[in-house]
Amino acid sequence: MLRLALQTEPSTLDPAYAVDYSSGMISSLIHSNLVRFDPEGKILGDLAEGWEVSEDGMKYTFRLTTARFSSGRNVNAEDVVYSFKRLLDPSTMSPRWWVLEPIRGAENFHGGGYWDETAVHARDDSTLVLYLNRPAAHLLSLLTMPSAGIVCREEIESSGADYGRSPCGCGAWKLVEWREGERLLLERNSFYTGAGPHIDGISIRIIPESMTRIAEYEVGNLDVLEIPRAELSRWKESGVPIIREQELRIVYIGLNNEKPPFNIAAVRRALNMAIDVDAIISRVIFSAGIEARGIIPPALRLEPIRGNGYGYDPQQARKLLADAGYPDGFRMEIWQRENPEGGRILESVQGYLYDIGVDAELVTREWSAFKMAVDRGTPDAFYLDWFADYPDAENFMAPLFHSANAGGGGNRARYANNRVDSLFDAAALTPDAEARWRMYEEAESLVYHDAPWIFLWFPTRYEAVSDRVEGYRIPAIFNAQRYLDVSL
Amino acid sequence: MTYAMFKYTLKRILILIPVLWGVVTITFIIMYVVPGDPVLVLAGERYDEKTLVEMRRDLGLDKPLHMQYLDYLGRVVRLDLGRSFVTRRPVAASIAERFPKTLVLAASAMVLAVVIGVSIGGLAVYNRFAWLGNSLMTLSLIGVSIPVFWLGLLLINIFSVRLSLLPPSGYGGGSLAHLLLPALTLSFASMATVARVTRSGFIDAAGEDFIRTARAKGMGEIVIIGKHAFRNALIPVITIVGTDFGSYLSGSVLTESIFGWPGLGRLIVQSIMKRDFPVIQGAVLFMAVVFVVVNLLVDLCYGIIDPRVRVGSGRK
Repeated sequence: MLRLALQTEPSTLDPAYAVDYSSGMISSLIHSNLVRFDPEGKILGDLAEGWEVSEDGMKYTFRLTTARFSSGRNVNAEDVVYSFKRLLDPSTMSPRWWVLEPIRGAENFHGGGYWDETAVHARDDSTLVLYLNRPAAHLLSLLTMPSAGIVCREEIESSGADYGRSPCGCGAWKLVEWREGERLLLERNSFYTGAGPHIDGISIRIIPESMTRIAEYEVGNLDVLEIPRAELSRWKESGVPIIREQELRIVYIGLNNEKPPFNIAAVRRALNMAIDVDAIISRVIFSAGIEARGIIPPALRLEPIRGNGYGYDPQQARKLLADAGYPDGFRMEIWQRENPEGGRILESVQGYLYDIGVDAELVTREWSAFKMAVDRGTPDAFYLDWFADYPDAENFMAPLFHSANAGGGGNRARYANNRVDSLFDAAALTPDAEARWRMYEEAESLVYHDAPWIFLWFPTRYEAVSDRVEGYRIPAIFNAQRYLDVSL
Repeated sequence: MTYAMFKYTLKRILILIPVLWGVVTITFIIMYVVPGDPVLVLAGERYDEKTLVEMRRDLGLDKPLHMQYLDYLGRVVRLDLGRSFVTRRPVAASIAERFPKTLVLAASAMVLAVVIGVSIGGLAVYNRFAWLGNSLMTLSLIGVSIPVFWLGLLLINIFSVRLSLLPPSGYGGGSLAHLLLPALTLSFASMATVARVTRSGFIDAAGEDFIRTARAKGMGEIVIIGKHAFRNALIPVITIVGTDFGSYLSGSVLTESIFGWPGLGRLIVQSIMKRDFPVIQGAVLFMAVVFVVVNLLVDLCYGIIDPRVRVGSGRK
């Protein structure tokens, strides 16, 4: 039994409604997808043992392997059709229907139109054909997301709203017990046909308090522990082996690009130059991150970030502000959610901004109120981060900076640049990885130069793993972890 | 039960109706006044406006406020607490799963507070052990000043990490070992109060005529303190514990979080964070019912312990 702990309890294990980290992570252990990521972030077949893409990139043909649901029934191509149609069906009301948006007629069906039977169809029991609206280079990445998990029709129909607590998938694990607020118990799905897992089960306890999780690890009740940054130096000194991984995540302060004076690019650049990000990294977050001199995290890049970024240059920052018509600076509000570490970070930022004459006031709201205000564009600036949904450069570009995604779509800074938009649109249609990368690289440097955010860092994750565990590694992305290689 | 007692109880129960209506209404108003939107929590990090509109309609959040209020009142009257927005689980099922755990924790904390508090208070009065009692009183005063959060982590560090005597956290199927540390943490705050009140209760009682009479009869000191003074000293203790019990039930949030205890307090806090209206409403209403029922029982208890406050006893 592998013993893990989570800070927050999953809301639901129904792929259609799993939007938070815990829900997506555990739902992915239970449900298989057509394809999945391995822990390094490479695409592998999951339910599909192979696939072909047509020349024009509009047709995908998947050959399915033999697999069974945890109920024992064989999985066939019709189950994939059912699962995809369910996710898109407007009556399902999945907030993640957009995962399958590239499929032909998907948007129309979701908007209340008819279902295009031919767009997703089972040619035979083990062959599934998908037709797209237009080529979508990141389609396979989308298909790895928890929401695109394959569900068992009869279980959905018999369980209804309770499916989220009694899921039935064809993944490596099945849920055997869920004690609310306490723990979830997963057992090996005896019908799973893929390689592994080598352990009988996983217990996932819900422990909200990080110090308590540490105590549980120290007494030997947990096998894996994420080390909080504030505790990092103690653990490093203690000599306990620690593993680390660069997260696919960027931490930033979004500026509301529609609100003066943040509608002036020079002002936004000045704010970037005013802050010594490296100093904050080493002193406030205990060096658990690398400065973001670009936007796409290093692991998703074909080439490293060029240039040295904005650097710390308060004099130049003051000059830029004066040239933009703000020689005496201005007042602004930076919003944050309740979070002690965020508070310490923003107090440093506040100090740096004060040095160039910008009087920043910190406003703290709890998560729900914070999110509502940010999505509606109320605050001048907001401290936030962005996690990858899937390991692809695209995920750090179009959702965050395409003008069509302003607000809740992900572009919370409300940045708009026609050239950048058209690069994103073109890249999405480009199957060739190299050519696609060139477009993202150009878009990235344009966005970075326009500075819709104050760019901070790419965080590093540190974990301790008990001696009795072998084969564990921190996955590149949360839903790539299936514990198939782990043994005890 | 006498007729007067029955009438009194019935009156108290009828008063509960407007009280609970007030709770329902105030909870409803607060939820809608506080900023935050439940569908934003459900939608995650990346969503489109159209889906939000659909979700709001599905959850009935698009209706005018007074309609939502009336709908909700109608459901409460039918004892239907609805389903959680977030987990889609029936609210009653979540409460039923979590409340017993909160109750166990609160009851154990109360027992600890009374047993330890009264012992300390009693010892402080009894001359021979005054030094011990007084140092314990000082200790308990320090105890009441320690923040629960820090105390909980301290206890975990000492008893679990260093001494390996007790598990650090979790419910553990309700085992005594798992219960001990959270119960102790939760009881600390009232333990000191109970000790002080007991002590002054004993001192007051010691000056009463009936104690002097008992002494004059040649009764042993232990019997005098244990039987005569004890009962009198107990009345203020019951008041304190009775009022505190309600706050044990609702105020165990921090303790529950530190010890990963799957109780109702944590459910309420989580659902407030997620703007999970049905769970907030259901759980708050449930706690209110528990609170008023406990208060009622405490009031009825007085009569059993102290004949002077027994309702209707004057007529006999």
